[in-house]
Amino acid sequence: MLIFESIIDGLRDIKDHFGRTLLQLLGIILGAGSIVATFSLSVAGKSAAMEYYRVSGGIQKIWVSNHPTGKVTLGARALASEGLTYGDALALRRDAKEIDLVSPVANMDMTIRYRAIEKPRSVLGVVPAYSPMNDFHAGEGRFITDNDLTSAARVVVLGTERAQEFFGSENPIGKILTINGTGYQVVGVMEEKYFSFDQKRNIMRWMNRQMYIPITTFVTRKGESPQHGKISYMHARMRDIKRADQSVDEIKHILKREHGINDFEVFSRVANLRRNEQNNKMYDMTFMICGIISLLVGGIVVMNIQLASFNERVREVGTRKAVGASPAQIFFQFLSESIVVSVFGGFLGLFAGKLFTTAISMLMKRPTFITPSTIVNALIFAAGTGLFFGMYPAIRASRLNPIEALRTE
Amino acid sequence: MSALLEPESEPERSLIHLAGVTKIYDAGENAVQALAGVNVEISRGEFVAIVGPSGSGKSTLMHILGCLDSPTDGEYWLDGENVADLSARALARIRNQKIGFVFQTFNLLPRATVWKNVELPLLYAGIGTEERRERALEALKHVGLDRRAKHRPNELSGGQRQRVAIARALVNDPSLILADEPTGNLDTKTGSEIIDIFEKLAANNQTIILVTHDPAIAARTQRKITIVDGLIVSPES
Repeated sequence: MLIFESIIDGLRDIKDHFGRTLLQLLGIILGAGSIVATFSLSVAGKSAAMEYYRVSGGIQKIWVSNHPTGKVTLGARALASEGLTYGDALALRRDAKEIDLVSPVANMDMTIRYRAIEKPRSVLGVVPAYSPMNDFHAGEGRFITDNDLTSAARVVVLGTERAQEFFGSENPIGKILTINGTGYQVVGVMEEKYFSFDQKRNIMRWMNRQMYIPITTFVTRKGESPQHGKISYMHARMRDIKRADQSVDEIKHILKREHGINDFEVFSRVANLRRNEQNNKMYDMTFMICGIISLLVGGIVVMNIQLASFNERVREVGTRKAVGASPAQIFFQFLSESIVVSVFGGFLGLFAGKLFTTAISMLMKRPTFITPSTIVNALIFAAGTGLFFGMYPAIRASRLNPIEALRTE
Repeated sequence: MSALLEPESEPERSLIHLAGVTKIYDAGENAVQALAGVNVEISRGEFVAIVGPSGSGKSTLMHILGCLDSPTDGEYWLDGENVADLSARALARIRNQKIGFVFQTFNLLPRATVWKNVELPLLYAGIGTEERRERALEALKHVGLDRRAKHRPNELSGGQRQRVAIARALVNDPSLILADEPTGNLDTKTGSEIIDIFEKLAANNQTIILVTHDPAIAARTQRKITIVDGLIVSPES
């Protein structure tokens, strides 16, 4: 009841001195605002990153790429190493226990011709695992199969932009496309791959601009045996992300056994993610510290208002005490006024935070999300500031001697 | 046996019993003795004036009577309760339940309505909204201001403000009303009207102690207590 009255008094105080209160609440508003901005950016950043990871094959993805050592003093066996080969992929699939998918990729520009159109275009030699590995599937027809792989079939699957480029409105399935002078039958067209951080640029577009043929066909057409066919890179997928380090080590171990030297690089998204999280934490911390400093400044200002209004209200406190307000009742009355004022500032801060995040998301071209927990956090911080900085004025008011208070002019 | 029973066999204990009350301010080198051993008995329903020149200790006496301050030494019984050595919290409770104050400068809360001002003691007594509103309106009817309940104090004349203060003093049905120079800020005619109200209350058996330096006003009470240099010089008049 008394608390209710105090809240009414606090609101009346805001109403009576709206301009002054608003100015002095600026600290709380900015503080709560930057907390809202921090949380919403951080939440949005994390969810965008996670979405990107999901779209591009999940955080279980491991990269294996060529990395020439550059050393000139190599042993005979090391000199014999040809870099990553299709044979390495087969060895990994056979021996690696931490891995459930291996997707070797060979890449080269080839001359593509269909009727009157002839252009140099990027061709990828892949295995069926490429599709689940990258969460990228055939939209029409089918993707490369194990049969295609074992028979080194002359089949091709097109990215959407290539299908459009060479066939236009024609249905490409079943048609024969000439690649480096050899005919390939089109067996499928991929779905369109799309992901964007800013709703403008499709960062997956390059996948729509590829043409996919069996990797065995790719290497044998170049005159290499499948076992020694050179590849550009490999993706692998770990079974258990908790065993990321073991998975990477196992791949390194097997490749070292195959190559004799470390002419390759292996890294996992989990390690990437850890590093990103470190960075994110730093950004979050920086924003948080700014928010907390603003709130501190705001809190000191609130304390000042309360002390000033306390000086204006010494007689009032004296009167309240004379008619029987106990020290505790005066204490809670002043404290709840500070909290009401701060929570009010916190509410305004939510709008400030909305403005900040809108501005940031426009500048950085990133989406931002304000979640309910963000709002609750900002309000709790604001109320806490009021509680902490309202304490001192409330204690002073509660200890006031009523006789002296009533004597004050 | 009869000696043991004696204190309780007293027919009607007085409302106020002060015995050997002293008050020393700023204890130490320059200690000031404001009260030098005051003995006072005031019965229920009495209308008493405390008079004395400034610096005589009448304000100190009134603060102690009003439980705003505690005596350095001596006994103070109010309405059968020993209130000489109570904590700040307990004194607040006594003020809330047993005493109604009327001040020279009215001391109304400027931003609250007349109604809210009169409700204030009931608010701190923890009484519910409905009952508070009813009792405050009742008290305002007593002083003829129930039609001004929704006004703010600065919309009222000085006499009306003092009547609001009297309503606030009455609202908790106190054992004692303490008025400190209640006519000090009012013209003679308005002051006289305020004393009329006190007289009416006294006629209804309400105990009132009025601190004043105006002999004309003191003359309208039933009994005058004169204090000089911290001592009562005319306990009876």
